[in-house]
Amino acid sequence: MPSSTATPAFTPRSSERAVEAAVELRGVSKRFYYYEHRTKTLREWFIRRILRRPLNVGRAEFTLRNFDLRVERGEAVALIGSNGSGKSTALRLIAGIYGPSSGAIRTLGRLTAVIELGAGFHPELTGADNVALYAAVLGLGRKELAGRYDEIVDFAETRDFMDTPLKYYSSGMEARLAFSIAVCLEPDVLLLDEVLAVGDQKFRARCFHRLRAYHERGGTLILVSHELDQVRELCSRAVWLDRGVMVMDGGVDNVLAASRAGSR
Amino acid sequence: MSATDQVAGIAGSAKAPRRLSQVWRYRELLRSMIIRNLKVKYQRSILGFVWTLINPLLTVAILVLVFSHVVRIPLKDYWAFVLSGYFVWNCMLQTLNTGTYIFAEHSRLTRSVAFPSEILVFGAVGSRLLEFLAEITLILVVLAAFHHFRIPPSFALLPVLVVIQVLLAIGLALPIATLSVFYYDVQHALPIALTTLFYLSPVFYPVQMVPEAARPFYFVNPLAGLLTLYHEVLYNGRMPSLALLSGVMATALVVYAIGYAIFNRYASVYAEIV
Repeated sequence: MPSSTATPAFTPRSSERAVEAAVELRGVSKRFYYYEHRTKTLREWFIRRILRRPLNVGRAEFTLRNFDLRVERGEAVALIGSNGSGKSTALRLIAGIYGPSSGAIRTLGRLTAVIELGAGFHPELTGADNVALYAAVLGLGRKELAGRYDEIVDFAETRDFMDTPLKYYSSGMEARLAFSIAVCLEPDVLLLDEVLAVGDQKFRARCFHRLRAYHERGGTLILVSHELDQVRELCSRAVWLDRGVMVMDGGVDNVLAASRAGSR
Repeated sequence: MSATDQVAGIAGSAKAPRRLSQVWRYRELLRSMIIRNLKVKYQRSILGFVWTLINPLLTVAILVLVFSHVVRIPLKDYWAFVLSGYFVWNCMLQTLNTGTYIFAEHSRLTRSVAFPSEILVFGAVGSRLLEFLAEITLILVVLAAFHHFRIPPSFALLPVLVVIQVLLAIGLALPIATLSVFYYDVQHALPIALTTLFYLSPVFYPVQMVPEAARPFYFVNPLAGLLTLYHEVLYNGRMPSLALLSGVMATALVVYAIGYAIFNRYASVYAEIV
């Protein structure tokens, strides 16, 4: 297990050549299109004219500024920080959903990001159809899915409902199914954004168990969470973001303690 | 394990070869999208595909009634003429309309998963195409049985026409989808544009009735060429001239390239806006 260090700089372990990181961000900044090119509709232009408001209000807002992060293979890292600190943006950048305004991002192997649970689900389709659809959304082939289908269904405990349209599922069942798919795909890098609050106590305990097993098998995990107990249980390293800037990167206990002291 | 360098994100803009390889990597998603579109549309419907046929058939019936009994268009088997073009028009119309809401409909998906977003448009074109293929098969049978009384060899050219049609559908739907992300006006403007285009395309009249002098302008509309091809192959049952065929094919390729370029230009920001 790689130890977490206070500096993002990486020194190669036993081997001489540098091991490729699972995720590497170098000098990444993100500014949203909305701020960069404020869309001016004709109506808005007229309203601003009539109300004598300034025509150009879009001050360039960075959600992430000059962010460096190197996550080794097999590491479990938590991104923490208050709302709007840029955690989710960082996760979306790593996943490739957003492109960076500047800087470089590099990831190794198959990456699965769970930003919103069941984002590809369709309420009219059956559970089985939705599993196929969501697996395809996450980039899995038909054959690969066939080998894991039973595992997914068993883990979600929705075996009896696979031929029922998703709209008749309870929200807990739906979340369980979505989570099962994501976690059973065994990616090389797994990104989770506040999705651990699903299902009942029992299911959450199993999720934790599953994630720890994934991590112990060498999977890389990057987690965004407000629930600090979860963070401490799963991650050895934490990165604290505040208003788009990294404040601290280090051992999970140190960073959590510092962030608690800092936000008070 | 392969490393992925993300210059603009997986969902973002990229050069053509990279885009193509991305789409190929996500072909399973495309397949699932097409199946999903059809399943959602047809499950729990008793008449199913019949509904897909009824609407255009009704329009064809009205066009035939009006233009062979009220305003007379002198064509032998006028019904066969309308039949061989209207379903093409209808397919195009529905595909382009889908373009106006396809990204809004999948906003949760684009915000939370990285995938080449043209897959959404391809999926819409693909599922509509499968329906069209079923429709056109029926039409071929009807035309062979009641209009030609044989199977004209020109029918063999149909796959080429379908390829042209797909190129045009994608080439027009992509920029429409792109514009719709930025301006909601598109969904109001498009029906007006399409109604205008309906009269400016040879759907219920043959292109021969368009004044010779106006033809160069008339064929600026890429759908005019496509429909003329369909009339030649299906209604007249003869091979179109090579000039017409290559001209329309070239136009379709240009429309496709421009449409894709417009889409690609803004591909990196759809996830941020929708």
